[in-house]
Amino acid sequence: MKSVVKYILLTGGALVFVYPFLWMFTSSLKPEAEIGDLGLWSTAFSFINYEKVLVKIPILRALLNSLIVSASCTTTVVILGSMVGYALSRLRFAGKRGLYMLILFTMMIPFQIVLIPQYILMVKLGWTDTYLALIAPTMISAFGIVLFRQFFLSIPQALIDAARIDGCNEVTILFRIIYPLSRPVIITVALLTFMTNWNEVLWPMMVVRERSLMTMPQIVALFSTGGEAESQLGYLLAAATLLALPVVIAYAFFQRYFIESMASTGLKG
Amino acid sequence: MRAGILAVVLIYGCGDGNGPRNEAGGTIELTYWPAPNAQEVELADSLVREWNILHPGVHVVMQPIPVNQSTEEVLLAAIAGKTTPDVCSNINPIALRDYVASGGLIPLDQFPDFDSVVTQRIPRELLGLFMTPDGHYYQVPWKTNPVMMFYNLRLLRAAGVSGIPNTYAQYFALGDRVLEKLNGPEKAHIWVGERDIRPIWWQRMFDFYPFYLAASGGQPLFRNDSVAFGNSSAEEVFAFFRTCYARGYFPRTSFYQSVDPFMLEEKVTHIAGPWQVAAIRKFAPALDYSVEPLPVPDGRKGPVYTFGDFKNVAIFTTTKHPREAWAFVRFLLSARYDRLLLHLCDQIPVRGDLLTNPLFAEYFKNNPKMVRFAEQVPFTRGMDSAPDMKEIFDGISQEYEMCAVYGTKPPAQAVRDAVERARMITEWNR
Amino acid sequence: MSRRAALLAAIRRSDTNGYIFVLPYVIFFLAFVAYPLVFSFVLMFHRWNLVSPMEWVGSKNFIRLVQDPLFFKSLFNTLTFLAIHIPLQIFAALGFALLLNTRIRGRGFFRGIYFLPVVVSGVAVTILWQQLFSFDYGVLNSLLRLAGLGRVPWLIDANIAMPSIAVMATWKNVGIYIVLFLAGLQGIPRELYEAARIDGASPLRQFLYITFPMLNPTIIIIVVLSTIGGFSLFIEPYVLTGGGPMQSTLSGMLYIYNQAFYFGHMGYAATLGFVYAAVIFLVVTVQRRVIERDIAT
Repeated sequence: MKSVVKYILLTGGALVFVYPFLWMFTSSLKPEAEIGDLGLWSTAFSFINYEKVLVKIPILRALLNSLIVSASCTTTVVILGSMVGYALSRLRFAGKRGLYMLILFTMMIPFQIVLIPQYILMVKLGWTDTYLALIAPTMISAFGIVLFRQFFLSIPQALIDAARIDGCNEVTILFRIIYPLSRPVIITVALLTFMTNWNEVLWPMMVVRERSLMTMPQIVALFSTGGEAESQLGYLLAAATLLALPVVIAYAFFQRYFIESMASTGLKG
Repeated sequence: MRAGILAVVLIYGCGDGNGPRNEAGGTIELTYWPAPNAQEVELADSLVREWNILHPGVHVVMQPIPVNQSTEEVLLAAIAGKTTPDVCSNINPIALRDYVASGGLIPLDQFPDFDSVVTQRIPRELLGLFMTPDGHYYQVPWKTNPVMMFYNLRLLRAAGVSGIPNTYAQYFALGDRVLEKLNGPEKAHIWVGERDIRPIWWQRMFDFYPFYLAASGGQPLFRNDSVAFGNSSAEEVFAFFRTCYARGYFPRTSFYQSVDPFMLEEKVTHIAGPWQVAAIRKFAPALDYSVEPLPVPDGRKGPVYTFGDFKNVAIFTTTKHPREAWAFVRFLLSARYDRLLLHLCDQIPVRGDLLTNPLFAEYFKNNPKMVRFAEQVPFTRGMDSAPDMKEIFDGISQEYEMCAVYGTKPPAQAVRDAVERARMITEWNR
Repeated sequence: MSRRAALLAAIRRSDTNGYIFVLPYVIFFLAFVAYPLVFSFVLMFHRWNLVSPMEWVGSKNFIRLVQDPLFFKSLFNTLTFLAIHIPLQIFAALGFALLLNTRIRGRGFFRGIYFLPVVVSGVAVTILWQQLFSFDYGVLNSLLRLAGLGRVPWLIDANIAMPSIAVMATWKNVGIYIVLFLAGLQGIPRELYEAARIDGASPLRQFLYITFPMLNPTIIIIVVLSTIGGFSLFIEPYVLTGGGPMQSTLSGMLYIYNQAFYFGHMGYAATLGFVYAAVIFLVVTVQRRVIERDIAT
């Protein structure tokens, strides 16, 4: 196929994926009447929609909540997941195989079946409208455990033996010796966990009703379906842009890591 | 020594049948929850203040219900957590079954003066509506917002229509005239009417349900917990709205503006309750309009019924002082406070003597439009208190959407399907 | 040695650290997986609105489910979604991957752009597409009008609404599959193509007999993940259409959510969850078998 045609197709594709975001951002700056226009330019750009949104909904508070929840979740998933992964790959104990099978099995359970009972559990524990409800059920990821285990299997046994001989306990081995060698898998698990948790909306909608505790996607979703936006497209697009902004910025800097993390999930097959 | 303390506690602890007092010989405290909107809070405030002055031994504390949740949710949660107030005046009859089933409310007919209070105040026709199947009354109706039809008189005259429509045929004639005379290529579009097309269950309280009550002469949707709306009245109502959408009287979009198009004179008719009068007074004081009963199917005779969103008063089982609580409820239901309800909140108390009692004469003289609502009160019906009314109305909304808004189902079929879904839900609840 | 004695001996030999390290998972599993699973089985036979006491209803929830036209409608809607989403996804992702796999400059740049919608929150994407799909002011209809064509009722027509959502979902996720296909394509040994070219095979034949079969594992992943995604659809119909028009975008998850939180039917919602989970399990198993068999032939 000719090069020119290839580049036209590829660029056309790029436009399809990027133009809508540009349109979203520029439209949020336009006066309401011009939002139907296809073009990106307007003579009357202003940030007023953003001002309105920041006043109407506690979106910055929601940003903080999302950061707290996602960061906590990611930390526990990485630390606890790596611990379990390490035990499953490098420690000897009865029931290891069975536990691993169990973990694989839980990955096959569709979440639809546990969602309602998990919610009821939150209610019974009195954790609704608290950070606990948002963090606790996501503290460990079976997928993360599997990724860690797989990676740790490839670490040379000699390294671990040497450390053991030196008198290191397993905790030190894991965190002082294995972690430095595990940057790829740690980044992958951390990034995947952070992203999935950040974008999660259904669970927060179920367990959090208090506005000051809502996560960012949740508050924007409710803003768009409730009447507060007064069907002003500008407000909606501004809120959506604010929501997309943190991730897009992170993506701009760490694009490679994002893509490789996601891709590695497929290679595992 | 210990026996002595025990004796003291016992003596003070056993009251005179009114229940234990908080402090030895001190005041009784009652909590009261009004609805969370500003005017009712203001009303509740003056109510409570006056009561406290008149009754130093019984101190009432008002606590508004949190705004971000529905009152029904808040009350059910409070019943479960045993944190209910003594009295609440925002009881929606649709949730009464749930409140009673979870053991949250006390029967009010236990009080010896219940009958006289109730028969004095409430129109005869409405008395039986608020009874629970077990024969008791757990709620007393306080106020209602009957849904009626508003007509823009100026636009009617401009369209050459001489009288107010009473039947569907006359309404359609009005519609045709409006489309013919008031609309054209050069003019801004004037709609005959408009309804929210989203199949949200409570939207039907402003189209299907009031029209059904008008068409059937006040028949409830359920009888003995069995579905009872599979009849020609329901079909006629579906057919009415289907015609309105099909002929272009109503738009097939939803307006989400903060000011209703009726007040901007972009709509000739509007279905709403007494709150609209207050809104018009505020936003469109020059509007020339009248309030009339809903149109009915041609050939229907008799008084025109409608739907009214009743809010009732109840006392909760957690109360330690039922008699004092009942005394407070009586105070709330007095003519004095009904008058304030009219003046402060522009809402209609459920009273039979609204137009005959001199206490209210001044209000109705200054607000002639509200007279229509007062006349409508005896012919106003609330929601049935069958289980799962919300879901049943959701089912009706889906059929309404298909039949009336999009015209993809004939009315008879839509009613059949709505009845079937309601029957399935009721069966499941047995 | 008896099995019990052997087991005890094995435990005694075990590294205690192992048990300590996996303890967090065991606790987590018991609390957030095992208990909810068991409770869901209990809940399915009860009626409960969280405030009143739970009421045993036996098989009533199941009887209601099999008679529930909305349940079947939600399944039908999901199938409609998948029927459009999966082929579109494969076609688009493969197309771009093939293009990117050739000798071009800026592969990383293009890949980065195609992947962008994947990382952005589904809520932001949904709000964006709500405007793109808007009948009166939407970008898509404006483009169509420019081209002299009529406007399309993307989200207002009951027959088009779900397919529109499928298109949006494809747009959002195709980036992942482009990356996966690229990795898969780069893993195909060059020698296979050399041999085929020597044998005189046309590029089309090379594609059909080498490329496509070798990408089978990736295709399975796309089909399975898209299917699971299709059954998990929630925020898109919730924000865009509320399940309408005329219930044509009611997804399984949205129906469960409404039943549980709008109408307070926890027992029925749990039953729905169980049945949907069973359906997903079944569908995914069948898909794996069918596609794997295709490649073997």
